[in-house]
Parts: sequence; C-alpha cells; structure tokens
Amino acid sequence: MTRTIVMSSISHRHFRAPSQTDGTGQNDPPTAGAAQKPQKQLTKAERRELQERQRAAKAAQTGSSTVKQPRPTAPASSHPKKGGKGSEGPVQGRGSPSTGPSGPPNKSTKESKPTAATAAEEAAGRSRGLRIFSHFALQKSVGHVAKGDVHPAIVRLGLMFAEFKICGANARSIATLSVFKRVIQDYTTPANNTLSRHLMTHLSVQISHLVSARPMSVTMGNAIRQLKLEISGSDIDLPEQDAKDALCGKIDNYIRDRIIIADQVIQETAMKKIHDGDVVLTYARSSIVQKVLLEAWAGGTQFSVIVVDSRPMLEGKRLLSTLAAAAIPCTYLLLPALGCVISEVSIVLVGAHSIHSNGAIFSRAGTALVAMMAKQHSVPVVVCCETYKFSEGVRLDSFTKNELAPPGDPFSSFPRNRSPGSLVIQNQPNLEILNPLYDLTPPSSITAVVTEAGVIPPDAISSIPLALGRLV
Amino acid sequence: MMNFEEPNANLVSHEFLAVILAGFGDELHPLVSDHGDEPCPKALLPVANMPMIDFPLTWLEQSGITEVLLICPAAHRSSISHHIHSDTSSSSYPSLHVDVQTYDESPDEPVGTCAVLKRFSSRIQRDFVILPCDFIPPEDLPLSSLLNKYRVESNLDGAIVTSCWLKAHDADKGAVPEEWGRIGSSVPIIWDKKSGTLLHIDTPDDRDRNFDELEIRMSLLSRYPVASLSSKYTDSHVYVCKRSVLDVLHHRSMFDSFREEFLPWLCKIQYQKTKREKYGRVLRSIMTKEAQVLALRHSTLFGGSIHAQDLSSRGSNSPSLKPVPFSVTSSPAHLDEGDEPLASLRIGIITHDTVFACRVNNIAALLEANRQFLSRTNYTLPTDPDNRALIDAKSQISSDSMVGSSTKIGERATIKRSVIGRHCVIGKMSRVVGCILLDHCVIGEGAKLEGCILGRNTKVGARAELLRSLTQAGYEADAGATIRNEKLEVSDWTAGPGEESDEE
Repeated sequence: MTRTIVMSSISHRHFRAPSQTDGTGQNDPPTAGAAQKPQKQLTKAERRELQERQRAAKAAQTGSSTVKQPRPTAPASSHPKKGGKGSEGPVQGRGSPSTGPSGPPNKSTKESKPTAATAAEEAAGRSRGLRIFSHFALQKSVGHVAKGDVHPAIVRLGLMFAEFKICGANARSIATLSVFKRVIQDYTTPANNTLSRHLMTHLSVQISHLVSARPMSVTMGNAIRQLKLEISGSDIDLPEQDAKDALCGKIDNYIRDRIIIADQVIQETAMKKIHDGDVVLTYARSSIVQKVLLEAWAGGTQFSVIVVDSRPMLEGKRLLSTLAAAAIPCTYLLLPALGCVISEVSIVLVGAHSIHSNGAIFSRAGTALVAMMAKQHSVPVVVCCETYKFSEGVRLDSFTKNELAPPGDPFSSFPRNRSPGSLVIQNQPNLEILNPLYDLTPPSSITAVVTEAGVIPPDAISSIPLALGRLV
Repeated sequence: MMNFEEPNANLVSHEFLAVILAGFGDELHPLVSDHGDEPCPKALLPVANMPMIDFPLTWLEQSGITEVLLICPAAHRSSISHHIHSDTSSSSYPSLHVDVQTYDESPDEPVGTCAVLKRFSSRIQRDFVILPCDFIPPEDLPLSSLLNKYRVESNLDGAIVTSCWLKAHDADKGAVPEEWGRIGSSVPIIWDKKSGTLLHIDTPDDRDRNFDELEIRMSLLSRYPVASLSSKYTDSHVYVCKRSVLDVLHHRSMFDSFREEFLPWLCKIQYQKTKREKYGRVLRSIMTKEAQVLALRHSTLFGGSIHAQDLSSRGSNSPSLKPVPFSVTSSPAHLDEGDEPLASLRIGIITHDTVFACRVNNIAALLEANRQFLSRTNYTLPTDPDNRALIDAKSQISSDSMVGSSTKIGERATIKRSVIGRHCVIGKMSRVVGCILLDHCVIGEGAKLEGCILGRNTKVGARAELLRSLTQAGYEADAGATIRNEKLEVSDWTAGPGEESDEE
C-alpha cells in the first residue's frame, strides 16, 4: 500500500518538479482522479500526457536504480564503442528518450545523493554515447588478447578488419576464406573426435574473434555457411590430410567460381552496357565496378567516368587514381555536387554490399542518394553484384543493422606537417560523430542488377536462388 | 573413464617466440661482480625490490606470449633458472614456458648480440621478439600494441621489424657522478610519423666518419619527403622481427651488435636499391604465403597509386614519385596469380613519450628507475605482526621509501627516499638517505649513508659514513670509515685491514 503511494508521488515529482515534497500528499488525489477519468473523455493531449507520465514512472523506477549506481551505467553509456552490443543498445535507446525529460528533475529532487548525481552528470556529460544509433557502435579490440585458441593468422586478420586495412565485401570474404584455408591446414583432429564435428567448433572460435573485430558481412556469412555445409558433408573415412585438402580445394573453388569468374562474367555483361561517348557515373569504390570500367576501356570503348565520393572513407580517391593511371578521362566530385553533373550522365554503375529478397541494395552510405537522383533524371542505375551477395531476408531500412565508420579520417594526409593522430576527429563531450557505413537503396530506384546469372530487374531478385538451381 | 586430456594443445601454433638476452652488465660493475663464488647476475639485480628480469617477464605474460627463450651467460644459469622456475618465489610465471640457454662468455671478452642470435637461430623458428633483461616497460604501452602493429604491417606490406623508442630521460646534472654513466644515451634517428617507419639510425661508425654532418640518401627522402629527425629518443632494444631477418644475419657475418650495427643496416634496405635486390628475396620468402594478395587487390581502401609496371620501368627514383607507404599492387585487371606485391621491407617504429621507461644498463639508470618507483609508492608499516615487530616505533621512515620484508630497523633510524631490501638490519640512530640497499645488508649504529648503492650482504660498521659509493656484494666497511664517491670491491677489503678507502 505504502509502496503505491510512493511510486505515484515519484512520478508526480517528475512532472511537477517545482512543487515541493510536502505538497505531494494533497496533489495525489487529483492526479489519481485524473487518471481515473475514462479514456474516452480525455483529449488527445491529455491521453498523451498520461502516457508520458506512465512511461516516466516506469523510467523513474529504472531511473532511480540507475542514479543510485551512476558509476556503472554512466561509464556504460560513455563507452558506446566499447560495450555497444546489440542487446544493450536498444535498451539504452529506449530508455534514454524517456529519461531525457525526467532526468534533470530527477536529479534535482534527489538531494540525498548530490555527489552521486553530479558524478553521474559529469560522467554522462563526458560522452553521452549515440542516443539513437548506439547499436551501430564499433567494438574495440585494441589491447584485448584473443580468448581461446585463436589462430595467429585470424588474429592478424581481425586486426586488419578493425583498422579497415581490408575493406569491401569481396575483399573481406576472400581474406576470410584464405585465412580459413590456413587454419584448416594447421588443424589436427584431436583424439576421439572426427574432423567434421570438431573442426566446426574450432572454426566457430575463430569466427567469433573475427566478428568481435568487425561485424560479419553478408558475404562472409554466406561463404562460411557454405564452408560449414562442406565440412559437415565431408567423408569420415577419408584420412585427415585428404579431407583437409579436399576442403581447401572446395574453398578455392568457391572463391574462383562465385567471385573471380562471376566477376569476369559480370564484366562482359556490363561492358555491353557502356557505349562510345557515354558518361559513366560511379560512387565510392567497388571492386567489381572498377574491373568493369578497366575492362571496357581495354576493350576499346571510349567513355568518360565521373567518380562521386564522400567522407569519411574517401574511397573514390583510390578508384580515381587507378582509373587515371589507365588513362581514362575522369571527373571527381563529392556527393553534394551530384546535382550539377547528373544531367550529363548516361549510366550509373554502382556496387553492392548485399542484395535482398525485396530487391533492395545494401551498399556504401550515399549510394541511395545517387540512385534516387539518377532515377529522378531518368538515368539507368545498374548495380553490379555477384550472386553470393544475395541475402534471403527482406531489408526495409538501414537502421536496424549498420556499422560506424572508423573515427575521423584515418587516411587523410593533409596537412602533412601534422601528426596523423591530430587529424582525426574525436568524440568530445558535446560532439558525437555518427558516420554509418551503409545505406539501403530501395528497388524503385534501381533499373537492373547485373549478376553472373544474367541481368535481372530488381523485383525479380528473389528468384536468384532458383536461377542458380540451388540454395545460395 | 573420461579422457580429460588437453584437447587443443597443438591446434594453434604459437605466434611469437620471445628471446630475452641477459648479459653480464659491464656497466653495473661492481654490483654484478661475484659474491664469493656465487655470481650476481644483472638480470636478478633488484629494482624497487623486484628482480630486474621480472619486469619484461610480466610484460610478456600480459601480452599473451607464452614461449620464452632466455639466453644468459653460463655462469648465471643456475641462479636465473632457479629464480624463474621455483614455485615458492613470488614471481613464478604460470603461463610462460621459459627455456634457459647459455652461451660461454667471460667478462673480459664480450660476445655481441648478433653472435648470440646466430648461435641460437636454430631454436628460433618463427617470428620473434627480442627483449633485453633490463628493460622497465612503461605502464601505458602494452607489448600487444607493438605486436599488433607488427602483425598488421607484416601482412599488409612486408614490414620486417617493429621497434620501440623511448624518450631519453634527462637526469639532473650533478645528482649522479659522471662516471656512473648516463641514462639512456640518445641516438639521432630519422623516421616517418605518418606510417611509423624507421628510416635511419645514426651509428657510432657514422659519427666517426663524419662528425659534423648527418649523411642520408636521396632515395630515402624521395620516398618519404616528410620525415622527422630527433635526437631525443633512445632505443629500448625491444624488436619484433620476422624470422627471415635471422637468415640475413647469417649472410652478414661481420656485424657484432644488433642494436648498433645490424639494425641501422637493416633500415637501409628499404630505400637502397642494391641492398634490396640482394636481400629482398631472402626477406620476402615467406611473405606471399601469409599475405592476403588477392583480398588486398579487391580491398577498397588499398593501394591504387602506381602500377607495378611503372615501378619496374623506373630507372632511378624520380622526385615526382609519390611516397607510397603501402605496398604497390598491380592493376586488378591483371589477375595473374604469379604477381607478387612489392614488399616494402620497412622497419616500423613506435615512439613512446609519456610514462617513464628505460633500460637499466648502468648505475645512473638504476638509480633513476628506483627513484621513479619510489615517487609512486607510499610507504606504510607492514601489517604482518612479525614484520611489524621488527620495525622500531621510534624510527622515522619517510613515505617515499620501500622496505623489504623481514628487515629490522633499529631505534631512531632515519630512512628517506631509499629502497631497502629484505632481511636487512639497520642499526640505531643511523641515517639512510637516497640509497639502495640490496638484501641482507647490515648497517651498524650511527652510520650515515647517502646516495649509495650497497650490494648484497654488505656490512657497514658503526658510525661509518658512505657518500655516493657503490659496494660489491659481501663488502665490509669498517667502523668509523669515511668513504666518498668510490666503487668498492671485496678485493680491497681483503687486501688488508688498514687500507679501506682504496680505489679499485
């Protein structure tokens, strides 16, 4: 009984913060009475206020427990990059908008713990963490010694992923598969165990280390799934070395068939789309689009390229130098200037990180803008994508799963007389850097997807597994 | 019956082998001279009451390296091995597997580190980390950051060594006598900050050849036009090296010291064409197996500056060449499997400026290291009642001193800014200021010690005065003696009762 009064008086405090504690007793009945009013009679605003109050009351319960321990939670929120696991993120995201308005009055009334409150405020002020996209956070792997039996090559690969030295869907899957070949070759089956069963657990340890360095891409997931299928299907009676060689052979075949040869087929198909005198526009840097352009130029077609780039990754610069070295006439501009040139473009070629059943393309942040602009100006948007990037799910937005770009501009080199550390923008008490890496291009902005199975319109993408005759 | 063997014992080969080099410690004479028949190895000389070798071993343990090869002189083998492997000592290392190997050396003919490495190169079969036994690592630089830099760079563009350089510490002039050496003599180096590449180390030979000028090659400058030059850094002698570096060492047999001769020579390979052609093949031999060549060709943030064909057609390095810290990849259009990326063969460098760290290879460094540890401690009386009883209530021990266990401190003794070892006896009314006393010392009543370092089992008679002196282990100073600024050896003492203040 007493408890309910206390709870409602707390909730009451949050919204009548100026009123003093002695007034709560009298104010209680009117609040309770107001709550008792039948829902229909409340106006929309009152209903909303009631809802807010209830939500604040709920948050106050959790808020009172969190203010009591300011230290553990404030550091938890101030290190979004350290502890930003998916489960913690949404809880924070949900909790924080409601604790927002009730936060300051909460602290002002809890005079019994002034030091704790100021400590919490100070800790929160230091780095509040991303409020809405905290689940994008990168996980730090610096100074962390690998748990379990992680193969040294996997440790190195994890480092390269975390530092973005190997970046791009194709690059990451090729790198992962090559390293897995080494891991498999160095693996010995322990006694009383079979290769097909134990190797999977061994690989899972390695995979979790890689995921802690950087979240897994769709391509890596597909490749690993295929590898696990092969492992479980390997013959028990084979001698160990033969089984391992067979697995490595299958990995090689996968890389060759699904990536290298697929790229060659896509090159030939997409080359036909580029005619003499065309102006091709591409965004950031895709390994397959680069191959297409170089191959088309080598085939004798005369065209020019517009490379659109954006910060912080600035991958377009590298594409530009590669194309310029091949003597292709290029123009380079940043994304905001796209509107000036779009009317001269004849075709837009972009790459993808993954394609989904509903026809949406998950690609470098900014591609959606390019595709949308192009569609607006009736420029065909052609996405070059291998079939192994196909993901069964339906993706409707880029918020549920995304990643943050590395802080600052790790590859900026100017001005040269300053140390690279000082050129990187850091998170500050009143500044949080939010740089999502990927965005979603809806199928309505895409004209066609070129895969090694053919040129497919976006609404037919879900038939790719069927076209390949197998489950991807 | 269930089989609980270690399932994953050899599933993962260990990545690095740590090689700890323990020498004689010539500059720490007479502290490392024999105590009677027993040697006092430099590696076991305590800094802040912890044997010196514990510092690098703890550092290794934290970084996750488990295999250690410790190379020490034959005479020191038993004491060092006893210290590391005994379970009762407080400093046992459960996760380290230490292999103690010896080489024959006498204090008169020092053996260079290169010779030692060549001798043991058969035991070193993978990438290794060289550590000196006297390195005090900084607290905010874990070894894993050095290892991570090496891991990434060796895979990415074929770096061969990663080194760590510390800011040389300026001691106060006059606090330490000149003959006790300087802490961390700094060496001028040239390095590139952006990619962390060490370009040039000034060797004593270079200085002999040309004292006034620093000679560097144009090819170095054209590759790295924005390089930094500083003479404030000193080498920590911590190197993470590729295995193939040892193969190159075998080719160059005239090198004696790793730090002074071999490493500066290695720095030159990255920009001198002739050296590169000669040794590039040796150094690159394992690279293609580990490097992610195909993946890097597809990586969006990699390379893209120059074609491999342009590189080979260049005669001399043209100034219009953009410096490429990453290795050059050939155009992805040429997907030949045989194409090797051009390895940069560079030496990485991590500079560390903040927290104190040094190599304790001479007396001044020993004093400074102890002083640094003292400035961080806060002396409190021991809680253990037995130890507590040994320390007299009327003694004055300042808060920036350290007293080892089982040490008896007499009435009205004064201890300031000192490190006192275990099982010492400090007599009544004595004054110990700014000293380092090793274990089992006995200080007589009324003795005054200032700025001294006393070896093990030193006995100082009553009312003796020692000022800025060093004593060998087992030395006995007579009562009433007055000794200033001297290095005292046992041989002086056994020479005769009347001569106590002779020099060595």
